[in-house]
Amino acid sequence: MFITFALITLLGALGMLLQKNVIVAGLCLVATFFGVAGLFLLLANPVAAALQIIVYTGAIMVLVLFVIMMLNSHEEEKAQASHPIQRWVSVALVAALAMGAVKLVLASPGLKALAASGDAVPQAMTLQKVGLTLFADHLLGFEVAGLLLLTAMVGAVALTKRNL
Amino acid sequence: MDKLASLLHMTPAIFWMVVKVVIVFSAVMLLASVWTWVERRGSAMIQDRIGPNRAAIFGKIRIIGLAQLLADGIKFFFKEDLVPEEANKGLFWLAPFLAFVPALIGFAVIPFGKDFTSGGVTYHLSVLDPGNGMGLLYPLAIGGMAVYGVLLAAWSSNNKWSILGGMRASAAMVSYEIGMSLAVVSIFMTTGGYDPAEVIKAQGHLPWAWNIVHQPFGFIVFFTCMFAETNRLPFDFAEGESEIVAGFNTEYGSMKFSLLALAEYSHLMTASALVATLYFGGWQVPFVQNPAVMLSVASFLLKMLFFAWVFVWIRWTLPRFRYDQLMHLGWKVMLPLSMANLVFHAWRMSQGH
Repeated sequence: MFITFALITLLGALGMLLQKNVIVAGLCLVATFFGVAGLFLLLANPVAAALQIIVYTGAIMVLVLFVIMMLNSHEEEKAQASHPIQRWVSVALVAALAMGAVKLVLASPGLKALAASGDAVPQAMTLQKVGLTLFADHLLGFEVAGLLLLTAMVGAVALTKRNL
Repeated sequence: MDKLASLLHMTPAIFWMVVKVVIVFSAVMLLASVWTWVERRGSAMIQDRIGPNRAAIFGKIRIIGLAQLLADGIKFFFKEDLVPEEANKGLFWLAPFLAFVPALIGFAVIPFGKDFTSGGVTYHLSVLDPGNGMGLLYPLAIGGMAVYGVLLAAWSSNNKWSILGGMRASAAMVSYEIGMSLAVVSIFMTTGGYDPAEVIKAQGHLPWAWNIVHQPFGFIVFFTCMFAETNRLPFDFAEGESEIVAGFNTEYGSMKFSLLALAEYSHLMTASALVATLYFGGWQVPFVQNPAVMLSVASFLLKMLFFAWVFVWIRWTLPRFRYDQLMHLGWKVMLPLSMANLVFHAWRMSQGH
């Protein structure tokens, strides 16, 4: 199961990068989101999986595709002159980023939970637990994020509306 | 049941799962196709016409025109399968499936009857057993996926009317999703759980304890948003005969069109099942504390088909909204209403403790 979802995720991401048609690339990204949702399910976190689909595929990607369809160019433009140095720098940066991410994951305390068995296995996540965690342990972060989103929303309205 | 399972070399659990999947999905598909006929007969009734009553099997067995379904199916199968020249062929093929699959699998989480125990094992009458952790988030997530079918069908046809229709439809779907979700959230809150089985159990068997009585505004918002979500008539912006022909499915013909139409009706079935589950006690039978399994299934079907009929009824009663009216209604009426509903119930719960 893990291999299936991991493959969906990776192939989707690759397809998104290599695909020249912007809409098809967007759909590949949707496949990636589904792969990630499947991985969340395997980690006994169905709430994160559902939220992943609701937020990313159901809202964000739809809006992105919407904007792409509004603009009338669906093919990626060719670069005027190719800069191979850019490609190498980006590969090096991505490799460094991946190394860092793997290191962080291997150092995280969550890794010990994977070895647990019997009663020590953590229960599957529920919406109730998510709510409790958000409003009890991470209240400040939650409120700050809410404020940030509100500011962004007000900014977007102020930018697009001519006469307020 | 165990004997049958061992005959097929399956464990009873897997056998039961297969049976459930087959029954639920074939029932939804069958009801969806029957509803294409109910829609035509219903519209005829409302407009004082007769409607399709002529089709007959072997020219004899007429059953009030129900054979029309078979005739339609055969006709769609044998029509030429046209793909527009400039269309994106792959996506043009994919789009009807992307529309059909989410419409169908959204039903998976809804309990369509009371669970029963046989041989010490409890059998739940829903494809996904309660306690799966997704609960009612699942139909919301899957419902969000329905936009892709419309959007892709519109874009891959490479037709201006299609794209306009698809854009209008998907904009409506996305903006009504928020009001709908908030209405559902206030049900999660008063129930204290988000599993459909819990929601049904919390409502009990007395009609005045159902959510429709406690949250009438939530019901209004949810039901209205369902019309936008399923692209049904007062809000069906995907189409518009006078402006954009048939909207996103202008270029579709034969079996592909049939799939898109079936997707719409399957979506309608899922939506009515959701309304029945959330606001009308699901499989609960009024005034019967502990109903028999078959009675509970019948009660659920009755509620679901009633709402499916209301969808048809309203389609042929109200004219289509204008696009800006729809957006106005969605953002300035439905969203504040469902927010007020949420805050009111939160306040009531805080007073109760």
